Amino acid sequence: MSAARKTKGKGKAKGKAKAKAKVVHAAETRARQPMRRTIRGGRPYFFADPAIDKLLNMLVVLGSEVWTLRERLAALEAIHIRQGGLAVGELDAHEFSAEDEARLAAERKEFIDSLFRILQEQVEEARRR
Amino acid sequence: MLELKHELKLSKTRDEKARMNFVSGLRAHVLNDMATGMRAVYEGSVEPGFRRSAGRAPKNGPEVHKAIKPNEYFKFYSSLRVTAQDMVWQSVFPPLERNRDALKSKAAALSKSKRRERGSLTLQPGFEVPRYVSAIDVHLMAGNYDGEYETDDLAAGALYDNGLAVFSFGLMGQNLDDIGQSIAGFIRLKYPNLQPKKILDLGCTIGHNTGSWKDQFPDAEVHGIDVAAPCLRYAHARAEAQGRAIHFAQMNAEALDFPDASFDVVFSSMFLHEIPKKGIANIMREAHRVLRPGGLMLHMELPPNSQLSAYDAFYLDWDSAYNNEPFYKPFRDLKPEELCRQAGFDPKKYVQFVIPSVGWYGEKVWSDAATQPREVDNDKTGRLTDGILWYCFGAWK
Repeated sequence: MSAARKTKGKGKAKGKAKAKAKVVHAAETRARQPMRRTIRGGRPYFFADPAIDKLLNMLVVLGSEVWTLRERLAALEAIHIRQGGLAVGELDAHEFSAEDEARLAAERKEFIDSLFRILQEQVEEARRR
Repeated sequence: MLELKHELKLSKTRDEKARMNFVSGLRAHVLNDMATGMRAVYEGSVEPGFRRSAGRAPKNGPEVHKAIKPNEYFKFYSSLRVTAQDMVWQSVFPPLERNRDALKSKAAALSKSKRRERGSLTLQPGFEVPRYVSAIDVHLMAGNYDGEYETDDLAAGALYDNGLAVFSFGLMGQNLDDIGQSIAGFIRLKYPNLQPKKILDLGCTIGHNTGSWKDQFPDAEVHGIDVAAPCLRYAHARAEAQGRAIHFAQMNAEALDFPDASFDVVFSSMFLHEIPKKGIANIMREAHRVLRPGGLMLHMELPPNSQLSAYDAFYLDWDSAYNNEPFYKPFRDLKPEELCRQAGFDPKKYVQFVIPSVGWYGEKVWSDAATQPREVDNDKTGRLTDGILWYCFGAWK
């Protein structure tokens, strides 16, 4: 029953262009479709401006990706150590050469600038006046 | 993140596992640390503020809710909890979508397994799923229990199983059966004369708590019913993968296809709170009808508001307001002993228990719990938090 309900919804979403094909393949309406990932009825918001809830959600998803990278890095380090390419603690004890350090410092500055570019826009607009 | 221990477990990439780990950790933080923080904020500022203006403490859950709603900590707690809830399911979709073929073929192979004692699966083509299941996405799970996306689909069952593993951060047991194991184990110990021949689990979804009854009472014939076909298909394969002979059938608990007086135990877990009041009354009557005289009806549930402090009532009602659980608070506003009486059970034969989680406390708790009744009013009863206690009520026929 619910399958029929969903098949109908999907048909509408696909629009009229495919209506003909849908009729031809009517017997196959239960062919595999991707699972629906949006919540019916929406989600609740708590802050005066729902944008704050949405931003918090983005921040947490970003946090999840940062964590995912850390786990991946830890896996990579463990594999290197197991294969003998890296000694235990070697990564933590590593000191960059003066050359590498200078390059990283420039890249770090660029990274931080780009992070706060949105604030810089206001400064530049004020300067133009 | 808890890894499923059976054959239907999805294969996941390193990154997918890491995302699930993150969501489990986030949920543990919100439901342990932030929940403790929110109570402190309530006691330290919200409740005193209410007293100053009203001249008394809030008297029930809705009053606490109204008082705490403007509080910033409450907003962060709630917003993060909704985010985490959504991320639970979102963390499962990518590996699940990729594994759908493998899942189907594994399930098909399992249903043809050649074990001596085997379970069964009975579905009803054209079965009408009640609107309280077909019309909403309970606990923000897109597609709900009954969503089907192809012929013989069982993806919704896999979504629930894998999602629950992320959601529960270990508090629902290694096999997600802590409720079943704790309660069935406790009942076996407390009532050594109860030797059930037939046991029924209502609204069993993927049968994760049905199997415990077979573990505790291996000679019994165990049945699980639900309205959602994809969950039942998955439940059948899951039980076969775990070597448990369980009979799953598509049925509405409000109108069972079983004859009168055919079961010794009728059980449900986390089920009644998903159903409107009228349906609950029908289910209780059906449970009474299919029980043999001397049989036991037992429902594991969230504790009733009448037995909780105003703050704890508010805390559990959060789900009803914000987690797509429209029938959760109305159910918890009912009195369990009244429900049993109205269904035809003798009020003198009413029972209720607060049973410590076997996963958290170890098996010793069964003997302790059997001799030392616990109070319901406790901030660990029915709450997914460290030191969890399960609540259940029912009656003997």
